[in-house]
Amino acid sequence: MALEEFKSSKPLTMGVELELQLISLSDFDLTASSPDLLHLLSRKPFPGNVTPEITESMIEINSDVHTNHTELVAQLQVIRDTLVQAGEQLNIGICGGGTHPFQKWSDRRIFSKPRFKEVSELYGYLAKQFTIFGQHVHIGCASGDDALFLLHSLSRYVPHFIALSSSSPYVQGNDTLFNSARLNSVFAFPMSGRAPFTQSWHTFEHEYFAKMEHTGVIKSMKDFYWDIRPKPEFGTIELRVCDTPLTVERAAALAVYLQSLCAYLLERREAAPEEDDYLVYNYNRFQACRFGLDGTVVHPKTYESLSLREDILTTLRKMEPYGAQLGATAGLQHLMQVTHEGSDAHYLRQQFDASGSVEGVVDAAIHRFRGR
Amino acid sequence: MPDIQVILADLGWPLAIALAWLSGEFVHRWTRLPRISVYGLVGFLLAQAFPEALSSGASSNVTILANMAFGLILFEFGYRINLHWLRINPWIAVSGLVESAATFGVVYLIAHLTGMPPLTSLLLASLAMSTSPAGVLRVINEENSSGQVTERVLHLVAINSVIAVFVFKVVVGFWVFQTSGSLTQAVSHSGIELLVSAAMGAVMGFIVPALLRRLGALAQDGTIAFALGVILLVAASRAFDVSPVLATLTFGLAARHKRVAFSRTERNFGGIGELLTVLLFVFAVSTLEWERVVDGAGLAAVLLLARFLVKTASVAAFAHVSGIWWRKGVLTGIALSPMSVFVTLLLEQTKYMGIVLVDELAALTAMTLLLEVVGPMITQRALIWANESPSQEEK
Repeated sequence: MALEEFKSSKPLTMGVELELQLISLSDFDLTASSPDLLHLLSRKPFPGNVTPEITESMIEINSDVHTNHTELVAQLQVIRDTLVQAGEQLNIGICGGGTHPFQKWSDRRIFSKPRFKEVSELYGYLAKQFTIFGQHVHIGCASGDDALFLLHSLSRYVPHFIALSSSSPYVQGNDTLFNSARLNSVFAFPMSGRAPFTQSWHTFEHEYFAKMEHTGVIKSMKDFYWDIRPKPEFGTIELRVCDTPLTVERAAALAVYLQSLCAYLLERREAAPEEDDYLVYNYNRFQACRFGLDGTVVHPKTYESLSLREDILTTLRKMEPYGAQLGATAGLQHLMQVTHEGSDAHYLRQQFDASGSVEGVVDAAIHRFRGR
Repeated sequence: MPDIQVILADLGWPLAIALAWLSGEFVHRWTRLPRISVYGLVGFLLAQAFPEALSSGASSNVTILANMAFGLILFEFGYRINLHWLRINPWIAVSGLVESAATFGVVYLIAHLTGMPPLTSLLLASLAMSTSPAGVLRVINEENSSGQVTERVLHLVAINSVIAVFVFKVVVGFWVFQTSGSLTQAVSHSGIELLVSAAMGAVMGFIVPALLRRLGALAQDGTIAFALGVILLVAASRAFDVSPVLATLTFGLAARHKRVAFSRTERNFGGIGELLTVLLFVFAVSTLEWERVVDGAGLAAVLLLARFLVKTASVAAFAHVSGIWWRKGVLTGIALSPMSVFVTLLLEQTKYMGIVLVDELAALTAMTLLLEVVGPMITQRALIWANESPSQEEK
C-alpha cells in the first residue's frame, strides 16, 4: 500500500486529541470500562468525537478543526462536561495526566479491535505498557513540503512542549524523578523518536517510505511513533510529545502555542533546519522529560546552554504578535502562568505530599479535570 | 500415649484448611471454578465425615477467627463503596431497594404458603434479601474483574446486606418483645445494637486514618493498621454484643471517604487474609448436616429459584435508566447469587438468644450449602459473560 497523497488543508487550522484515563472510583485504579462508557455516550450526540484506545482503561477524544483559541477551548469544555457527567453516572472517574501513578501494566486488557490485537501480538508487553496518555495536536499544512519543513523546524521547540505539558512523575507507585516519564515508554518502540531528515514530500514518499515499506517493517504511517509525524490523509503535522494535561484549558493553550510557532516558522525568518540540529535533540528531550521547566537545553545552532524556562518565556514573548493575530493571546498567557507556577507534574507532587498516597494523587487529578 | 480423639480434635481444623486450600488450587487450575466454592464443598464433606474433629462453639477460636476473616473482607468491601455515586445515580439505590424488598416479599409469601410460622418466615425472608459480601468480593478479586457489573454488584450487595441486617434485627427485636414482653429489651436488641455497631465502625474509621496521617506512613503501614483496626473492632463488637458486620462495613466506608490509601496491591489483606478466607469458607458450612440438607432440598430449590428470578428481574428493570444496556443489568442481577457466609455468621451471632434457625429450618441449611458452593460459580459466570474478567490468555 503506497503512502497516501498529502491532502492540502487550510494552513494553521488545528485539532486536538486527548487520551484520557478511566478510573474506578472504588479504589482509584484504572478500570476496564471503556465499553460501558462508550455505550452510554453513544445514546446521545457527542460534541466532538470519542473513540476506544488500545486498552479498555483509556479513551481518546478529539475536537473538530478550529482556527482560534476561543472556539477550541469552548468545545473542549463541552466535551469534558459531557464525559464527566457520563462518568459520574457509571462511577468512573475521568482524568488527564501522562501516566496512572500506580496501575500495574499486567492488569490491563487490550480493547477488542483487530488493529489493537495486531499491535499487542507484535509488541508483546510493550502494548500493555503503552497505557500512557498523551495529547496530540494537529496543525493544517498547505502541502507535504510545508509539513516536513515545519516538522523539522519544530524539533528545536519540542522540549518546550514536553516541559509545559509534563504530568507523569509517578509510575508503578513510585516517583520516577522525571516530570514526563511517559515518553520513556514511547521510546521503547522501534519506530519512535525523530523522523528522518528530508524536507521534500516527494523524496519522503518515494525514497524513505517506499524503502521502509519494502522492508516489511511498516505498512502505514500509523506504524511510526515519531515525536512529530506528517498525517497525509488530514493534511497536517501531528505533535505527539505532550502528556495529557490535567485540564482541557491547558490542552487548548498548548495547541495555540504550536499554532503560533508554526505561523512564525512559516515566515522562514529563522535559519533553515538541517540534519545537525538533531545532534542535541535527544539530550534536550531528556532534559525536558527529567527536569521539566528546570531543565537546561543546548541550542542546536549556537550550542549555547539555555535555561528551558527562560527559553520558553523568550519564545512566548516572541509569539505575542502571532498570538494576537490568531486569537491565541489567552492561551499564551496561560502558558506564561505555567512557567511561574510550575507544570502539572509539580502539582501532582504537591498532591502526594498533601495526601500521603498515590491514590490521593489520582483523586486530585480527577477533581482538577472536572474544572469545578 | 495421647488419646486419638484429642489428636484429631487438635489437628482437625488445620488439616481441613490445608486440604481445602490444596483442593481449591487444583480445581481452580483445572476448571477455573472459584476457589471458595471448593473450600465450601471440602469443608462440608469433611464436617460430615469427622463431625467431632470440626466442631466449633460460639466462643471457639475457629469462630473468632472466622469472624475476623469476615471482618477483614467486610472492611475491604466497605472501602470500595462510593456513597457519592448513589446520590449522582439514584437508580442504583432504587434497584437495590426494589430487589431487596421484592425478594423479601416473594420469599415470605412462599414460606408462608408452605405453612411456616410467620416469625420464621420473616427471618428467612430477611436473610434471603442479602448477598454475601465475602463471596462476591472474593470472586471479583480472583477474577480481577472491572466494569459496570462489577461496580454495581458491589454497591447492590452493600445495600441489600445493610437492609437485611436491619430487617433481621428488627424481626429479632420483635421476637424478643413477643417472648419477653419488654419493649426496652426489644429496642436494645435491634435499634440500639445497630446504632452502636455503626458508631463503633465510624469512630474506628476516624481514628485509624488520623493516626496514619500523624505517622506519615499511609502507603507503607496502611494495611497493617487497617487489619489491626478490624481485629479490634470485631473483638469489641463481640464484647459489647453488637453487630461486627455493620461495624466493619462502616469502618471501611468511613476510611474510604476519608480518602486514605488502602493499597490496591494488598487486596484480600495479602497472604494472611487469604489464609483466613479458607478458614472462613470451610467454617461456614461445618455446622450444616447432610440429613437436613436432604430434608430441605425441595423447598430450598423453590426459594432459591424465586430469589434468583426476583433479583435478576428487579435489577434488569432499572438497567437502561441507570445507564447500562439490559444485558449487563441481567448479569448484575445474576451475579447477586452468593448468600451463605453472611447468613451463617449472622445466625451465629443470634444463637445465644435461642434463635437457631439453621438447625431448625432444613430449607435454610440446604440453601446455605447450595449457595456457598454454587453462588460464587454463578457470580463468576456473570462476570465472564459480561466481558469484565480478562480472558484466559490475558491472565
